[in-house]
Amino acid sequence: MSPTPSPSARPISEALLNRNRFRFLGLTPGEIIKYFFNGNAVVAIVVLALITIFLFREGAGFFGQNMQNLRIYRLAGLEYVDFIRRQVDEHTAMNRALNESRLAQFNRLTAAGRTVEEVNTALAPFDAFATAFGDSVEDVRGVLSDLTEVATAIKQKDQVNRDRLEQKAMLLGAGKSDEADKITVTPVDFAKETVTLKGTFPACQAANQQFAGKLQAALATAPAMPEAKLQKQIDTVQAQAQALIASLPEIERQMQEWKHDAPIPLSRSFTSFLFGRQWLTASFWQDWYGIIPLFVGSLLVSIIALTIAVPLGVSAAIYVSEIASVREKNFIKPCIEFISAIPSVVLGFFGIAMLGTALRALSQVSWLSWFPGFPMSERLNSLTAGCLLALMAVPTIFSLAEDALNNVPKHFKEASYALGANRFQTIVRILVPASLSGIISAILLGFGRVIGETMVVLLCAGNRIAIPNFTEGLGAFFQPVHTMTGIIAQEMGEVVTGSIHYRALFMVGIVLFLLSLGINYVAQLIVRRYRISIG
Amino acid sequence: MHAPANPFAGQKSSSRSIERVAFGVCRSATYFILLCAACIFGTILFKGAGTVFQTTAPFINVPFLTQAPETLFVFEHEGVKMKMGDKEFRRFKEEKGLPDIAAESYVYSSGGIFPCIVGTVLLVVGSMFIALFIGISSAIYLNEYSTHGRFVTFIRLAILNLAGVPSIVFGLFGVGLFVAFMPLLQNFDNPAAPTLPVGFGHYLNFSGWNVCLLSGWFTLAFMALPVVITASEESLKAVPMGFREGSLALGATKWQSIRTNVLPYALPGMLTSSILGIARVAGETAPIMFTAAYVVRDKMPWDVERPLDMLFQGVMALPYHIYVVSSKIPQNEYTERVQYGAAFVFLVIVMGIALTSILLRIKMRARYRW
Repeated sequence: MSPTPSPSARPISEALLNRNRFRFLGLTPGEIIKYFFNGNAVVAIVVLALITIFLFREGAGFFGQNMQNLRIYRLAGLEYVDFIRRQVDEHTAMNRALNESRLAQFNRLTAAGRTVEEVNTALAPFDAFATAFGDSVEDVRGVLSDLTEVATAIKQKDQVNRDRLEQKAMLLGAGKSDEADKITVTPVDFAKETVTLKGTFPACQAANQQFAGKLQAALATAPAMPEAKLQKQIDTVQAQAQALIASLPEIERQMQEWKHDAPIPLSRSFTSFLFGRQWLTASFWQDWYGIIPLFVGSLLVSIIALTIAVPLGVSAAIYVSEIASVREKNFIKPCIEFISAIPSVVLGFFGIAMLGTALRALSQVSWLSWFPGFPMSERLNSLTAGCLLALMAVPTIFSLAEDALNNVPKHFKEASYALGANRFQTIVRILVPASLSGIISAILLGFGRVIGETMVVLLCAGNRIAIPNFTEGLGAFFQPVHTMTGIIAQEMGEVVTGSIHYRALFMVGIVLFLLSLGINYVAQLIVRRYRISIG
Repeated sequence: MHAPANPFAGQKSSSRSIERVAFGVCRSATYFILLCAACIFGTILFKGAGTVFQTTAPFINVPFLTQAPETLFVFEHEGVKMKMGDKEFRRFKEEKGLPDIAAESYVYSSGGIFPCIVGTVLLVVGSMFIALFIGISSAIYLNEYSTHGRFVTFIRLAILNLAGVPSIVFGLFGVGLFVAFMPLLQNFDNPAAPTLPVGFGHYLNFSGWNVCLLSGWFTLAFMALPVVITASEESLKAVPMGFREGSLALGATKWQSIRTNVLPYALPGMLTSSILGIARVAGETAPIMFTAAYVVRDKMPWDVERPLDMLFQGVMALPYHIYVVSSKIPQNEYTERVQYGAAFVFLVIVMGIALTSILLRIKMRARYRW
């Protein structure tokens, strides 16, 4: 209780105006009520602050753990082995391309009415070439599998050590020092261990020479194909193989120069997350947490959704605010508002149960086959998710754009009519430009809604963690993707609290959070800066 | 002589036909949106109705609405194809004395969705109370007490930004704060978590509330907050200034005039427009996936030893159940029943809430005119 001044000490005016009221902690009831409401209003700020704090609290540890992850990758020699692995992977990809073109040719020929035997004889030179091509890598593959075992063993040893250290720390923390002493930890001597790895370099070189020789020989036998399309595919593979052979000395040089204890810059921990092109978890070899495939997936799905939703939403807004009769307006507005309340999980279920199948059936119609990417290979892909997300974005875009159109002063319109413009000319030349800032911010907020949507993309986007193949042009829009929101929803339930994977998911959450704040900020900025002054 | 042409008739011109075409395009875009929505509604209502309703009295499939989910077994017995839920199948095997019948099993495809409905209702009601309480109070402050200033601008900015935060981020936030950090008052010292002794042998253990109703309530409530605040402020603004001034002029205090002359007129509007926000929150899955929802739980929420335990338990929720049955089990004729049925029930609940809000609001607009 604060000391209440005696009445005589107060100025007359105050004594007259202020009744001597009940006070608690020096506050009158009116003030207490005011501060109570004030406190509730502050909750919004507090929640926003808490979101920031707790996302960073859980996510910030990621960089340290990722650094450790990357350090072990180098120390244990996994990086060294990956030089060779990359060679083998490239070769495998080419081999797969050859197989695919054979299958395509086979199907084409059998469809043309030839028997299986005939087709096989026709493709015999191709098969011989493909077999030789495939076998050329065997030596390198052998070396690779040996090295893989060695490197994995080193990594394993280190992991065991780390587990023991943790156990020891726990025992020490619990005060059981004698038990802790029993646990012996012999640090892994990475220098000594990786010497074995590097010792295999001559063998690698020999294998590479073999590989190059055999590949050259195989390429020399590449048959000339009668069909231009097939010939083109073979040419591509040839060019790629030549490039691979040409890159071998460079790879060998890198292997020779590789050191297990070369320092890793601290920034690598950030860049490998922000620009990493692989999101690979729970793998036996090495986990990668790169956000790019997820980010690209989210973006791709959002672009599809906005491409559909923006024309629909904006024209509906124009229709309702300028063209429709009052009765139509009173019917359409609540209906669209109603759409915004459809639960996303129900939309996602609809995508799985109906839309995916329907869209694929549509893509298989023969007279649409000229369209790039048709027929779709997967039922659930970015297009399926994009269509449904469009429906979720339409209400947001519609209602905000309609507000913006309604806010254009009436005399703009009247002046336009007075000059003899018709309604459509007024809309296009006057109303839309005048409310453009509002419409653009509506689109941005729609984008924010779409990129943050979870259940639809989790259920319908196909969940394949890979950057879509953009060389296929429009076909990339029909490939399955995984998204930032989807990965959190899918993997959060399975991870161990505090593990690097758990923290990586929080990092993805932080990226989403910052993205949504950024979108909001830009939308407000546009409205504030480019609004045509009214008056 | 024929009559002279009407001099006021519109002339045929290209701009006029362009106008007509453009208006047609706008109109068809608008109705295309409504058609798409109607298509989705139609499919789910039509297919789901087969599960929820039946042709014989009482016309509603009561077991579907009052039983827990079960595994469905499909098998052939004496040449007849049979479908049975888990319990029935076991009884059948005992009766026939056939311990092992080869059967295909589909999880969750038999029985009903009663626990999910209960869980959803609990989640929505709880979060609604929290959101309405905080939201309406904030709106009263913002509209009645606050003066223009940096602080209020800051609050409005926070509300605006909160509205744009993705639902899954709210889920993560819920995990970070409520599930893994919030304090529990316990009578022992939890060594695995930061602890604050409060005396009397009790400790505040910051070990989190775990996956439970309470975590879900707060996560959902914070998500609904921006909508509730905005809606409540709108209806406070709609009350004419004269009401407040008249009351103040008669000597009422600020709070008295708000309580007697503002709130009674604003409250119905606040509630109805907030309901739309509630509907949207009720439809969310992402925030409760890791904070409140269990894939399967045998006990009902009221099967607890102490009443307080009710708050600290996870529940099954309808949206999460729909996610599970649509992604974790195959799509075929046996699973379709529960998939469409659950989607139907959920859609009807959420849309019922939304429709109530929209209709009430239209009615309200007609009633109060100042």
